[in-house]
Amino acid sequence: MPLRSTEQGWGALVRTFHWLIAVLIVAQGVIGLTMVQMGLTPAKVRVFALHKSIGMTILALVLLRIAWRLTERRPADPAAMPRWQRRAAHALHLALYALILALPLSGWWFNSTANAPLVWFGWFDLPSLTGGYDPIWKPRALLLHQTLFWILVALLAGHVGAAFWHHFRERDDVLRRMTIGPRKRNGEAR
Amino acid sequence: MKRCGGLCIAMLLGWATAALAQTWQVDATHSALTFTNTYQNVEYTGQFRRFDAEIVYDPNDLAHAKFDVSVDIASLDTQNSERDHTALGADFFDTAKFPKAHFVTTAFRKTTDGRVVADGVLTLRGVGKPVALTVRFKPDGDTATLEVTAQLKRLDFGIGSGQWADPSMIGNGVIVRGHLLLHARP
Repeated sequence: MPLRSTEQGWGALVRTFHWLIAVLIVAQGVIGLTMVQMGLTPAKVRVFALHKSIGMTILALVLLRIAWRLTERRPADPAAMPRWQRRAAHALHLALYALILALPLSGWWFNSTANAPLVWFGWFDLPSLTGGYDPIWKPRALLLHQTLFWILVALLAGHVGAAFWHHFRERDDVLRRMTIGPRKRNGEAR
Repeated sequence: MKRCGGLCIAMLLGWATAALAQTWQVDATHSALTFTNTYQNVEYTGQFRRFDAEIVYDPNDLAHAKFDVSVDIASLDTQNSERDHTALGADFFDTAKFPKAHFVTTAFRKTTDGRVVADGVLTLRGVGKPVALTVRFKPDGDTATLEVTAQLKRLDFGIGSGQWADPSMIGNGVIVRGHLLLHARP
């Protein structure tokens, strides 16, 4: 598997970023929805700290991923794909990047307005974005973080649905080239 | 005079010594009672916005000095509403049962390096423990500033014991600082 993406498929680095971030996003969603239901115990405080640490990890990974993507090409869309689908797919990918950036940033903002600690896996402190407690913006930051989450859930449903549609209905390489790699060029001539 | 005898003399003496020791009025708007602690190993500072302090102090008459401070625990503010709400609950300060903290001095002394230390008893969450305050007093005509510092351990007073005892979650050591602007009482 080549490190860089080619005309036919995604490179190893893009696939690693994709699946690492995917797993972390699913974990974040489950942790986030669970932690807010917990009674106040030290365990809750630790789970919140974990959610914040994973969120900051996703932020760093997505920034690296975007930086890497800017240096390389993307594989060509399947030839049979109509123009509107290509446009919709690219718009959805752009929106996903925007949300994967905005979710940790809004969480960081909310955490700052709440004046809560932000320590990455107990290693180092991240600074406040608001310079301290801000009870005026705090409820808005929380609402933004929650709203962005549900938008992300909806977009991810579309993203996963489209991947399966490509794989099972269109029987093209779109899902394959993000997972095990595209079929060989002459493979279809079997 | 004949009839009251020793009692009157004692009262007179008492009045005289009270008049000698300077009594001060705390200027609440320019005074603060703060503390520093750690939460998840990150330092934060909080304050108690309401407290009353009776201050009798003359640096040249430590024998008659006295601090008597009462703190309204519910006036806690650590700039984090969740933390404040939790801190007032039964696991921590338990304001429903113990709305006030009280500190009263028992004796003042001068250390060998010239600092003044006030020994006293702090009653917090129903537990009385000896606490020593470092005292810095700067008179300025009819006013004075008083800076006091004390080091406490929250677990000595049962604040956040049991599941909350872990000092990596909430530090055990607490540094309390008082900054008081005083006006001389006539």
